[in-house]
Amino acid sequence: MSEYLGQVRAIVWKDLILEFRTRERVAAMGAFAVLAAVLFNYAIDRTAVRPQTIASGLIWMTIVFGGLLGIGRTFHLEHEDGALQGVLMTSAPKDAIFLGKTLANFLLLYLVAIIVVAVFTLFFGLDLGPRLDLLAAVIALGALGFVALGTLFSAVSSGTRMGETLLPILVFPLLLPMVVYGTQATGRILAARPAAEVTANLRMLTAFALVAMATGAGLFRYVVEE
Amino acid sequence: MPGTAVPPSEGKGIMKSKGSAIMVSLVFVLLLVAAVGPLSAAWPPSAPQATPLAQQSLRPYVNVFIAYAIALLAVLGWVISIGRRLARLERRLGE
Amino acid sequence: MSLRGLRLTGTTLAAVGLLLMLTVYGLSFFWVPTEVAQGVIQRIFYVHVPAAWVAFMAFGLVALTSAMYLWLRDERLDRAALSAAEGGMVFATVVITTGPLWARVAWGTYWTWEPRLTLTLLLWFVYLGYFLVRGSAENPERGKRFAAVVGIVGALDIPLIHLSVLWFRSLHPKPVVAKPEGPTLPAPMLITLLLGLLAFTLVFLGLFLLRYTLQTLRDAADARDRRATV
Repeated sequence: MSEYLGQVRAIVWKDLILEFRTRERVAAMGAFAVLAAVLFNYAIDRTAVRPQTIASGLIWMTIVFGGLLGIGRTFHLEHEDGALQGVLMTSAPKDAIFLGKTLANFLLLYLVAIIVVAVFTLFFGLDLGPRLDLLAAVIALGALGFVALGTLFSAVSSGTRMGETLLPILVFPLLLPMVVYGTQATGRILAARPAAEVTANLRMLTAFALVAMATGAGLFRYVVEE
Repeated sequence: MPGTAVPPSEGKGIMKSKGSAIMVSLVFVLLLVAAVGPLSAAWPPSAPQATPLAQQSLRPYVNVFIAYAIALLAVLGWVISIGRRLARLERRLGE
Repeated sequence: MSLRGLRLTGTTLAAVGLLLMLTVYGLSFFWVPTEVAQGVIQRIFYVHVPAAWVAFMAFGLVALTSAMYLWLRDERLDRAALSAAEGGMVFATVVITTGPLWARVAWGTYWTWEPRLTLTLLLWFVYLGYFLVRGSAENPERGKRFAAVVGIVGALDIPLIHLSVLWFRSLHPKPVVAKPEGPTLPAPMLITLLLGLLAFTLVFLGLFLLRYTLQTLRDAADARDRRATV
């Protein structure tokens, strides 16, 4: 077990170091967050609708679009340099590789989510409410399911000629549960509703994340085998 | 067990050129039947309408007709698509 | 069953199904009474519901054969998945085109985010994904596996999506609309609906078998061409 976790950790570490050195994906996703917020400001009529009321939806959709940008590149490096073979030939079981990649993506996406929330709070004068811990949990659970699906299908799409353009088509339909439960929970948190109103959403987000992770871990080996 | 070695069929496929002509005529007849059916029932209406909206316009009848046509055309479209591909394949296997 | 046998069975099933379908058409216009609340437009029900039933049943077949394909690696299972996917997409298209036709008259607007219709729309896109990964894969063999993965993940997620769509709807209640089926189904309507379900299922099964033989022949032709060039 500890060997397994060690392998997972090694992959997470490798991807994070790579990302840290180049900062490509963080830069792209972070810039996206800010620019999207700017465009949103001009896209919505602030006399007709208060940003506070639609903030939840805007935040989540920005996370989705920006996240997909970064997740699409998960296997880009390996694919280009043929490094995927190398990773696969290690003794690490395929699901460990998947979990490692997913976790690395999760950390990356969570960082971006924080940036998105911060930027939107700044630009739209949002009141995040008293329960920042709940907000953190909702975003974490939603992001986990998202990256699990995204990582699995990123491996699929990098084996196709269409590449990353395929990712929205594959991921968006399946992402609906995260959008429904995530935005509703976030909306309630921003409206300072009692925590009890959010627990059902948290449960569903957890279920979604678990199903996505388990499915991804189980099917990843079929995607990457030659 | 359907294996990989398939002998070229003895000349009787789903579609040959004469067969496709018959298929197309059959399709045409079926379409006519399908078209006549709803139309003949649409006028006059077979039962009094409960909603005033329906009394005033043909829209419901038109939409029902289109929907039934879509279902039929979709099925026939798939049939024809499979048939044509089978015919092409048989020609290819015959060579 | 031999390829010839499959073809015969497929053609027979499809022909019977098609005739039954036309019978249902006739019944729905000459025999079944008009539903009181919605009026004439409710008759779309007799093609819309059977098509939805087939679209989802076909996807179940896709998921099942895909999972077994990944496990057993039998090409026949992949051919079955592909054939089922093609049929499922055809019928899903029927559902999402007839739905707005119904909605326009019954509820005054083309799209109402009705949970089942929305679910079918998303199912259509999962089907699209199935064909896109299959067709654009750099390696055809991997493409089959990619498609199988899409089928399996789709099947696992569809129930979750359904739950979330219902949940969303329950919190954003629309004006109460008549259930498409009506409070209780009088006998003529029920019979016609069941016949419609049978008809569409037979058509799907028949054409599924034919599509399967097509794929088998195609693989055989490809294999033969490969041998010829060796």
